[in-house]
Amino acid sequence: MDLTTLGGQFIGIIPLGDIVLYFTTFNLFMFAAVLVFTVLIAISRTESQVEAQFGTLKDREKKVGKAEFKIRRFLAIVCGLATAGAMITGDVFDFTLFVALIGIVNIGIVAAVKEIDVLDSAFQYGIIAMIASLPLFGGAAFILASTGTLSLLEIVNIPTTTLMLFGSILLFLGVAGETGVAPFFATKAEMFRTPGSPFLLIIHLSSLMVIVRIIEILLIINKPF
Amino acid sequence: MRIGRLWNSLATPKRIPRVFSIILGLVLLAGFIVPLTYDVHQLYPRPTPQLQISEKDPLAPYDRGGVPLKEPGIVKAQYPNYAPAEGMVTGYLSPISIGVSNTTLYYGTSIYSSPGGLIDEILYYSRGFDTVLESSILMMAFVVASWVAIHFTMRRRED
Repeated sequence: MDLTTLGGQFIGIIPLGDIVLYFTTFNLFMFAAVLVFTVLIAISRTESQVEAQFGTLKDREKKVGKAEFKIRRFLAIVCGLATAGAMITGDVFDFTLFVALIGIVNIGIVAAVKEIDVLDSAFQYGIIAMIASLPLFGGAAFILASTGTLSLLEIVNIPTTTLMLFGSILLFLGVAGETGVAPFFATKAEMFRTPGSPFLLIIHLSSLMVIVRIIEILLIINKPF
Repeated sequence: MRIGRLWNSLATPKRIPRVFSIILGLVLLAGFIVPLTYDVHQLYPRPTPQLQISEKDPLAPYDRGGVPLKEPGIVKAQYPNYAPAEGMVTGYLSPISIGVSNTTLYYGTSIYSSPGGLIDEILYYSRGFDTVLESSILMMAFVVASWVAIHFTMRRRED
């Protein structure tokens, strides 16, 4: 098996010393999609939630202040760039660093909110993100120990051992915690109950894209076919 | 009906860190029965641990030889063709560290050993992009923390 089995045509690499970013058709499509979405978010304005009130004909409008708008836009752009980087990186440790960056920026996007429920669940999410950094970096360390390299372009040629499988399970658990997928979704779902929609969407998009990418990486490491 | 209650309990944000840590604990326990198969051809090689100490080398266990900018030290890279100047600064010692290493045999294990040398070689040259990312994670953490500290996201008196 080589990288083209999963990714399609091999287009090229960006060498940064030992860290080599590579492009295949699949990677490049996800990279471009994330960048386009990040640009759309950078030029858009926040929605304002309108709530109907009982006993009166007036509506209550929840708006996002200017200072809050600025910090959220900045963090959303950083989150988008980190997601785009995670799509094309060819290095396991580099990927974990991108995921850790996405995790901390996700907390920052909702940290500017003024609703207590949202802040509480963001706090719980922060705790998970902290715990998840142990399996995340530990998994990468196991893969380094059992293969002697971190570069996916080399790992793809190395036969899989049990320790590599264990390392990739840890890696997946770490990514699942950082992005808040299946059994751990409750904290993230509560975080969205706040005005300021386009910036919150990058939280969704980043976890979706990172999950797709980690599955590709796990298939590359473990070579089931 | 049991499974319905299980799903409902997963919908409470407070319980999620516990669920996550239980699953993580089980996986880590399973790790004890996994056979350890370490690769012996590591990318970043080291000499035998006690070898340099027995030779009374003040830089032990981190002496990798080399003359700065003239002769490369013993550093390997994954892709040597992308790192042509690999090993050129591994032998560098700052004037303070040269002074210290002349007075003691334990210089290599002290905190002085960080400026220059192997750590810089990997952190800033062959794996330099990781260092950029690490410091940007730290910077984002400071941005978020200082924004929250300045703006007080909640009116705390009322709670």
